[in-house]
Amino acid sequence: MSLPRSNYDPRRVCLNPFPDLHLGKHRRTAGVYLAGALFAIANWSFLDAAIYSAHAQVPWGDEPPVHVTFIDWLPGISSLLGYLVVVLIDKDRIRGQDGFGDSSAVWRARLFLFIGFALMAGGLAGSITVLVLKYVLSDYAEMFKYYGYANVTQNVLLMLSAIVLWMAQNTSTEYEYNLTL
Amino acid sequence: MAAGLKTVILLSVVLAVGFLLIILSCALWSNWLPLLVGASEYLVSAADKNLKRHLLAITFVIAPLPNALFSHCGADDFSPSYEPTGAVDLGRFLTSLIVITGFAFPIVLAHSGVINTSASAMSIVGGGLVYGTILAYSQAFKQEDSDFD
Repeated sequence: MSLPRSNYDPRRVCLNPFPDLHLGKHRRTAGVYLAGALFAIANWSFLDAAIYSAHAQVPWGDEPPVHVTFIDWLPGISSLLGYLVVVLIDKDRIRGQDGFGDSSAVWRARLFLFIGFALMAGGLAGSITVLVLKYVLSDYAEMFKYYGYANVTQNVLLMLSAIVLWMAQNTSTEYEYNLTL
Repeated sequence: MAAGLKTVILLSVVLAVGFLLIILSCALWSNWLPLLVGASEYLVSAADKNLKRHLLAITFVIAPLPNALFSHCGADDFSPSYEPTGAVDLGRFLTSLIVITGFAFPIVLAHSGVINTSASAMSIVGGGLVYGTILAYSQAFKQEDSDFD
């Protein structure tokens, strides 16, 4: 019940808490495919709500009381920006290994990682805010809450996709892994 | 060699059935939006460099993006390390993205009432047949030097 002292650096604040899964030698490939699939499902779940909103006029007579507007798009845009930032960071910089240049590069990489995750968390919180303020607390019919739920689904799945991609790309640089390939 | 010939004939029949379903799902309701599903499947098929010469007439217009990612940035014989590079990961990510898009697009269109529900089902089945054919082909005739899996 103690920290592994060999990997422990007391200067580090953000330790990497993800477990080291072993799913065989295809772990990286499967993780990347899974991340892409989650990414597509996330965006299509929201686009489904948007397209459905744009075409919904038949059961409500003239005009439905609420539409998917630009407010609904904002959390997804924030999450996508955060996703780009998180994905584009070099993982070796975050790990902060010796001989990888100066320490300010490591500091900057961690700062950008923080910004990326903050953007994604902001997108998630914003989607829940839109769900509560626009759809739950108002007097619309029950089926219009689907727009809000689709928005939350998009942001949750985007965060899951980023986590899966991070785990798939992070811990596959073992040398014996290369030998057994 | 005869087994290979039988495989080719079987796969081409399945491929033709898939194309038939996709085109029928468009033509029966005279709504040509599901053809985009077929287009995305062609885009995926362009990712495999073995298929490039066989489907050249179809994929020639939209082929370059994933094909370039896979064949030029992969862990080839010339690359010093066996570790997959970021570009290979990007190619796999895009492949998965396009495949899921191909299956999600008719569902979304049917949900919002743009196309018929049976057209959506036919388009999904046809797209699955086409993509399964592509996967089976690349598995059956995989060359020795291709280490994409």
